[in-house]
Amino acid sequence: MRKEDKQKYGRSLKDGLLMLAILCCAFFISLLFQHIFRVQEHITTIFVFAVFLISIFTEGFLYGIISAFLGTLAVNYAFTFPYFALDFAIPVNLISGIIMVAIAVFTSAIITKLKNHEAVQIESERETMRANLLRAVSHDLRTPLTTIYASSTALLENSRGMTGEQKEKLLEGIKEDAQWLVRMVENLLSITKIDSGQVKITKTPVVLEELIDSVILKFKKRYPHQEIILKLPEQVVIIPMDAILIEQVLINLLENAVQHAKGMTKLSLKVWEEETQAVFEIKDDGCGILKKQLDSLFVGGELTEYEAADSHKKNAGIGLSVCATIIKAHGGTIEAANRKSKGAVFRFTLDTERIWDDTE
Amino acid sequence: MIQNKYKILLVEDEDNIRNLVATMLDTAGYQTILADSCTAAKTLYVSYLPDLIILDLGLPDLDGLHLLDFVRKDSLTPIIVLSARADEADKVGALDRGANDYITKPFGSGELLARVRAVLRNNRFSAQEGRLPGGRFLLKDLEIDYDGRRVLLKNQEIKLTQTEYNIMALLSENCGKMMTYAAIIKAIWGGSAQEGSIKKLQVNMANIRKKLGDKPGEINYIVNELGVGYRLNG
Repeated sequence: MRKEDKQKYGRSLKDGLLMLAILCCAFFISLLFQHIFRVQEHITTIFVFAVFLISIFTEGFLYGIISAFLGTLAVNYAFTFPYFALDFAIPVNLISGIIMVAIAVFTSAIITKLKNHEAVQIESERETMRANLLRAVSHDLRTPLTTIYASSTALLENSRGMTGEQKEKLLEGIKEDAQWLVRMVENLLSITKIDSGQVKITKTPVVLEELIDSVILKFKKRYPHQEIILKLPEQVVIIPMDAILIEQVLINLLENAVQHAKGMTKLSLKVWEEETQAVFEIKDDGCGILKKQLDSLFVGGELTEYEAADSHKKNAGIGLSVCATIIKAHGGTIEAANRKSKGAVFRFTLDTERIWDDTE
Repeated sequence: MIQNKYKILLVEDEDNIRNLVATMLDTAGYQTILADSCTAAKTLYVSYLPDLIILDLGLPDLDGLHLLDFVRKDSLTPIIVLSARADEADKVGALDRGANDYITKPFGSGELLARVRAVLRNNRFSAQEGRLPGGRFLLKDLEIDYDGRRVLLKNQEIKLTQTEYNIMALLSENCGKMMTYAAIIKAIWGGSAQEGSIKKLQVNMANIRKKLGDKPGEINYIVNELGVGYRLNG
């Protein structure tokens, strides 16, 4: 709330200064015209133009109308007979005043409408993005559900004719797809937690080593054969975060490498401190990321394009946009790049916290 | 033989999950008693006095925590909480009210049975041996000499500070039980779990883990559950 107030205040200060600046310009230009060129006729036009500009560049009606009044006064006071005195008896002054106010009101009205229109458009774009995401998700949900449903019915109804090996295969399929569904649902929960209500995440201090410990244990449960080369700072690092969410970012990024980096032989996770920040780096030596995907990697809306119909088990788009959303909500940055040699690298940062010296 | 089976009271309102867990337990050689509500569970608990309770927190009639309180009033029967809520606050709440461990849904069969075994074993161990003076705690290569206030790893003494030793002793006395931050802080420093004291605990813990040679991502002596607490892996 306070931040919003501050923003509002800053905005009106800026608008007010802008108004004064434009009016001063108009005033001096008019003085110039009057004294050097000895021309009188354009002075009202100059002020009308000033009012017009102010109405365009400030928010709402207020500044336009104020500047119309100030303009009328200035023209009346300085540039019409009697000079440097106010005189409202002359109908010409009154008419130019009314015209200025009218211009201010209409211009502001048009600009406001235009701005609203833009806001609606942005909102509808977001809506489209969400719809795309939803479509991709429901498609992606249906595939593993089909496996689970079909395999379990097959086992229930025809298990007699099956060999032990066949049964095992079906069960393995059920397990794999169920695990995949669990991860997908976790991702969706995180997105809705952050994206929808703009709920502020609650950060608690977490020891880096414990975080990595927990992440790697979970990762190993899913991919027991994937080795991870680990490098952490020697000293204790404490980072305020929503641990469940950051855990998910790390697991998503590691999993992303396992599923998408073809030909990978080495996967590494490195964390180091840079001043008040911790930098997390996930590096692989696989096939790298396609150039055209690199720009839109963290944007969920784009994922439908390369998530073609056969993309079962490739929720990279969703996973990565979840990562971006989570890191952004923590006030950190995330980036992806291709390594010079081979493979891809993902990096994100989080603010660290000073720790207590007395451990006793 | 049947009399020698452990009795496990399973409280879960969802039929599918109850059947599933019951099957897992039956095939592993436990005797299961089934309840689908808090009220039914209370009656069954009183008449059967089970060795272990597996409790789902979201029950139709009353919150599962009611049963937890009811049992803890006069008994130390181990309780494993089964919960769909991935929220730390719920886990911590249940543990602080006396639950021995928890499992978050969805879980695998191996995971569930491992927890059941661990809880039953530790309960029997502490019930029989108590903590006698001159007692020793042994776990794989780890040895704690309570009288000498020493911790040994592969017969080599590990230099721990007073606080670090106290934490190790506490965890070993509650081996296998998930100890929340609040429980440890209360036992070691006697205060409540504020952010500052949690940080103090975390830093001490990091040092202990390093001294024990625990490496992140491997099966270690001390297991950490982010935002919840620590457990000595029994």
